[in-house]
Amino acid sequence: MMINKIILIKIFLIITVICLTQFFSNNSNAVEPDEILQDQKQELRARNISKNIRCMVCQNQSIDESNAPLAKDLRILIRNKIKKGNKDEDIYEFLTNRYGDFILLKPPFKLSTLALWLLPFTFFAVGVFIILFHNKKSKKI
Amino acid sequence: MKKQLLILPSIFFLLILSIFFYLLIIDRNPSELPSTLLNKNVPKFETESLLKNEKFISSQEFGNETTLVNFFATWCKPCRDEHAYIKRFSNEEGIKVIGINYKDNPKKAIQWLKKLGNPYSNVAVDKNGRIAIDWGVYGIPETFIVNSEGVIKYRHVGPVTKKIYKKINLIIGESK
Repeated sequence: MMINKIILIKIFLIITVICLTQFFSNNSNAVEPDEILQDQKQELRARNISKNIRCMVCQNQSIDESNAPLAKDLRILIRNKIKKGNKDEDIYEFLTNRYGDFILLKPPFKLSTLALWLLPFTFFAVGVFIILFHNKKSKKI
Repeated sequence: MKKQLLILPSIFFLLILSIFFYLLIIDRNPSELPSTLLNKNVPKFETESLLKNEKFISSQEFGNETTLVNFFATWCKPCRDEHAYIKRFSNEEGIKVIGINYKDNPKKAIQWLKKLGNPYSNVAVDKNGRIAIDWGVYGIPETFIVNSEGVIKYRHVGPVTKKIYKKINLIIGESK
């Protein structure tokens, strides 16, 4: 029994450490040295935009994390636009005009996405209602 | 009343289940994305022509007749697979087909077309992939139908298969 407990604790510790390292290592980006801009402020802007832009090839990664050639092209394109003095909104507009809202990792709050944003709250409200309703009935019994 | 209410969740569950099942059995590719360029004018661009000794100017190529636009490269295996169908579009159906050579070696592309046959009335060179971005292309081969007004009417991502070949012919037939 004692041995089993120790093994369990060990496994728990190993898993915790693995999870923690995953949590703290935020270096999973694909930006290559030759892409990085000289101006640190501009580079930071480019990184922030890249993190919000979906890689259309892999679809569940941002272009900041993806090694796909198209992701690299878009990273360079974003940096060129920043260098030319384009605003962040202009760059987002440029990309959504070509690839649609799907290229944004966070869907915008629009009439067509209303259900997507509001349904969780609706379900939550329904759940709360059911719990209250259920408790009332059971108290009577 | 209480018993009737208890049935509701199971009905709801069955409903969701049938929706999932429906999505599972219908013929669809979940990674295929809708194009925002549908019913919009073709992007304007100027570049070199692969086979002609002159510039490729998009405004001169589109807007006169229904045109098929095909993004291809010699390094792309599915492009080779669909090439027979692209040839049939121009040879059998008499449709004008424009090729856009994506991130390719021009010499290799010319050889490739000599070897497999050239269905394109003109080929634009997209050396760094910038033209493809304007078309919202994310994986070649991609094929577009541009109508006689220069408006994009259809987009297909991936190689043209027998089924897609028929579909494209149908859409072009309707627009004529």
